[in-house]
Amino acid sequence: MNLADSKKKLALAGLGCGLVAACLAFFGNPANMAFCIACFVRDMAGSLGMHQAEAVQYARPEIVGLVCGSFLIAVVTKEYRSVAGSSPLIRFILGMVIMIGSLVFLGCPLRMVIRMSAGDLNAWVALIGFILGVATGCFALKQGFSLGRSHETNAASGAVLPAIMAGILILAVCTTLLKASEAGPGSMHAPILLSLVGGLLFGALAQKSRMCFAGSIRDVILMKNFDLLTVIIGLFAVMLVFNLAMGKFTLGFDTPGVIAHSEFLWNILGMYAVGFAAVLAGGCPLRQLILAGQGSSDAAVTVLGLFFGAALCHNLGLAASGTALNPETQELVAGAVPMNGKVACIICILVCFIIAFTNKRKARA
Amino acid sequence: MRKKELRLVVTFHTTADAMAMEKACQEQNAPGRLIPVPRTLSAGCGLAWCAGLDARETLLRLMDRMDIEEQDIHQCMV
Repeated sequence: MNLADSKKKLALAGLGCGLVAACLAFFGNPANMAFCIACFVRDMAGSLGMHQAEAVQYARPEIVGLVCGSFLIAVVTKEYRSVAGSSPLIRFILGMVIMIGSLVFLGCPLRMVIRMSAGDLNAWVALIGFILGVATGCFALKQGFSLGRSHETNAASGAVLPAIMAGILILAVCTTLLKASEAGPGSMHAPILLSLVGGLLFGALAQKSRMCFAGSIRDVILMKNFDLLTVIIGLFAVMLVFNLAMGKFTLGFDTPGVIAHSEFLWNILGMYAVGFAAVLAGGCPLRQLILAGQGSSDAAVTVLGLFFGAALCHNLGLAASGTALNPETQELVAGAVPMNGKVACIICILVCFIIAFTNKRKARA
Repeated sequence: MRKKELRLVVTFHTTADAMAMEKACQEQNAPGRLIPVPRTLSAGCGLAWCAGLDARETLLRLMDRMDIEEQDIHQCMV
């Protein structure tokens, strides 16, 4: 089935993904983090012992499902292509940048949209930064930015990340080797089987529809093409209805329990870095997982960069804290971006500019 | 809404090649426009150049002159 041959089908794909996210939120995933790639990769990095933040350690089956769902649907529909060789280490750095920017804002572009649907005005502020970041990436593309072409490689190479993900899931289910939070966001999750099935469905739908948060805005800027944006609007619509129906819609800033902060400048700059790096890397964090699933080792390296970036964020104190109620005094404690995180975010943006304007397209050899 | 018809679609190895094609075509007044690669052609999310079927020779000459390497040239409903 071609999900991308009409806007109606693309919107349906978005609705399907939104339903998956809403179900997972209903069955236990953290509020407004129904399906956040950055948060879930961060949790997985914690479960593997890459960082020691005890509240955010859990091998999220959704991430396994996304990669494996994309892999399976690509194999079944003969779209699996094992490719590699497009500036892998630069992509690793871009993966790190995407993760650091996401954890300064507290969410990937997918969670930004989910937070927007819950009335979180901080996410709407961050959208400004994300659009500006994508626009800067588009400007770099117009100036000839390129990481070079990828090449076909051994079929097994593209299957490595799906195999690693499946291995992590087996370890999580069959052993006590991996870490799992007993309190905090990492301890809040839907049942494993439901999370896995949700991830597989989301992955398959995202592979067929080419869902990409950075790509949707890139296409509007470069070509005035709204196809990919239709998928995102579909997802937003379902989550908006879900939040309204469940009484989870709260319009405002400083909403406790949402795991967000109200430092406008850093919400904007965090997502600016994410948008910029995502265009340079050829897709948002979700898209990188999907591309890795359908055989791109380059995207798989970007995913490894996401993991490494997540570990850095918590080991070096770069991640922001969310606004929360003090349980003893019942006073609102404002979330904030630590100084280390602010410095890292600025460095990430500078790195994006260096990558964007030092990697140029070469004419045919 | 634009009516779908059989058109020439040139795909490229990189987004930068597609952008270079757009720039070259604008400078040389060659026909066509940038589009997302049709989903029927690729699971990737790159860009392609779309023009009328009769533009094939013009575009091939232009790409040769401007050192732009195409990945493939297709005819499909766009």
